[in-house]
Amino acid sequence: MSLRILIVEDEMTIALLLEDMVTDLGHQPAALAMRLPQALQLAETEALDLAILDVNLDGRMSFPVAEVLERRGVPFLFATGYGSGGIVETYRDRVVIQKPFSLEDLGRAIDKVAA
Amino acid sequence: MSADRGPSAPDRMRDFPHGGGELGALIRRFDWSRTSLGPIDAWPQSLKTVANTLLLSPVPMVLLWGADGVMIYNDAYSAFAGGRHPALLGCKVREGWPEVADFNDNVMKVGLAGGTLGYKDQELTLHRHGRPEPVWMNLDYSPVPDESGRPAGVIAIVVETSERVRAERRREEAQERVRLSEERFRALVTATSDVVYRMSPDWLEMRALDGRGFLSDTEAPSIRWMDEYLFPEDQAAIWSVISEAIATRGVFQLEHRVRQADGAAGWTSSRAIPLLDDDGEIAEWFGAASDITARRKAEQHLRLVVNELNHRVKNNLAMTQAVAAQTFRNAQSVAQAQVSLSSRISALAQANDLLTGERGADVSMCGVLEQATRPHYPSLERRRIDGPDITLSPKTALSLSLAMHELSTNALKYGAWSTQDGVVWIRWSIYRPPGGGPKRLKLEWSERGGPAVAPPARRGFGSRLIERGLAAEMGGVVKMRFEQEGLVCVIDAPLTVYAEEEA
Repeated sequence: MSLRILIVEDEMTIALLLEDMVTDLGHQPAALAMRLPQALQLAETEALDLAILDVNLDGRMSFPVAEVLERRGVPFLFATGYGSGGIVETYRDRVVIQKPFSLEDLGRAIDKVAA
Repeated sequence: MSADRGPSAPDRMRDFPHGGGELGALIRRFDWSRTSLGPIDAWPQSLKTVANTLLLSPVPMVLLWGADGVMIYNDAYSAFAGGRHPALLGCKVREGWPEVADFNDNVMKVGLAGGTLGYKDQELTLHRHGRPEPVWMNLDYSPVPDESGRPAGVIAIVVETSERVRAERRREEAQERVRLSEERFRALVTATSDVVYRMSPDWLEMRALDGRGFLSDTEAPSIRWMDEYLFPEDQAAIWSVISEAIATRGVFQLEHRVRQADGAAGWTSSRAIPLLDDDGEIAEWFGAASDITARRKAEQHLRLVVNELNHRVKNNLAMTQAVAAQTFRNAQSVAQAQVSLSSRISALAQANDLLTGERGADVSMCGVLEQATRPHYPSLERRRIDGPDITLSPKTALSLSLAMHELSTNALKYGAWSTQDGVVWIRWSIYRPPGGGPKRLKLEWSERGGPAVAPPARRGFGSRLIERGLAAEMGGVVKMRFEQEGLVCVIDAPLTVYAEEEA
């Protein structure tokens, strides 16, 4: 099943890679946000099946985006270079992929979250 | 045995001296005719009286009779004389004690001239047991007159005080050691910059604390020291280490937070040892605590820096991975992909130089443009830049730098820099939208004098990075137009969200 996926990632090259990977995995990149305000707005308004959240968006944490998604019932996973220690208590049990990650890592994480 | 059965016949006849213990007997038996005193029966009454008085006294005394000072002494003196007794009896005093002959010579001269002498704790070196030893004595000498009233002898009271003097010296030395030790301790406490403190055996009461300006002082015993020096949330953990030290009578040692004299949170390295009393019970705890606030801050900062570095390394690897994946994805050949990848990794590395400052340190627009285009333009005149210098966030600077790298390599391969005299103009300005709203940045890359260009049949990673990536990065619109005169790329994005105009 093809999912509409929100990509929140502040590093341009990694954002583009994520778009490619999402496409390669048979899903659709629904929207791309690289900063917190855009991400909050897109999380609120876009029709989404899933979201991939970079934890640190140019110095600001993406947890408010997770909050919006949670409220809307949209599943999400975190992608981070900080390790799970950088994730707040509330979301510490969520799926996290460590950067850099492979296509297979991302595919497994999406399947786990979407299940 | 019969010879030892008792006094000989002449002894029994003698009634002088009366009694006098061992010395009395010895004197009665002694052949005094060999001395300058002459036979005992012929002694003047004055000599007999003094000698007999002396023999009956429990105080150590010796009578030195005549110019030679012939010695007559009692039992108590014989104990003092040690191994020199009984040979001393009847000796001339200067010969009897040859090691102190000068001293006794003076005694005889003064005494026979009618004078007295008194010494307190006089030290003399005597050979009482076959070897020299220091002996301390209280000595009192008085003249003894004969029947004519002139001094005929000297009587000496000799009280040995060696034991007392030695004991006093030992006590004085011990006191001196204690005094020195206390002095050193005070010097140590004064010399150190550490906080010093004393606690009751159970640590419930702080007896004193000298805070050295780091902590506030406690001068009188206080049971509220915990609230004074420790933050409530730290107290339980610190108390458990204290309890352990009390239970094991071991050393208390801990680095912990403290409330500084100025109220701020500081860090201290504290160490206390139990002082035990004579029964082995803890009398009190003595401790020293140093201010390690600066060190802890430096360590904390270092941890943050290391974490940040680790993150940046991972992030850079992820970016390299992303660039590599997309370069190969869009490549027409492996050879072309190799060249592109290598060039892009160089661009990434150079762009990273812009970001070596602390996180959040901004980067100038001119710096980014110069750094990204310099490796590519044929000469400086063929790259014109014009616009106000503004500062960019490091992240925007990195993305813009990569975009400018893509435009530059494209210009070198297919555009204005591929010909003899083509020029690239980079112009930017800040403007306020006609309809109002926040200020915007408009940046235009335009190539002139190059070959005629047409839109490429196939969009590569470069154009995607610019049109999609940079647009998303800057929160604006990026358009590429392939005009007859050359490529034009226009970036139009809000200024205020991502960049600050330089004041």
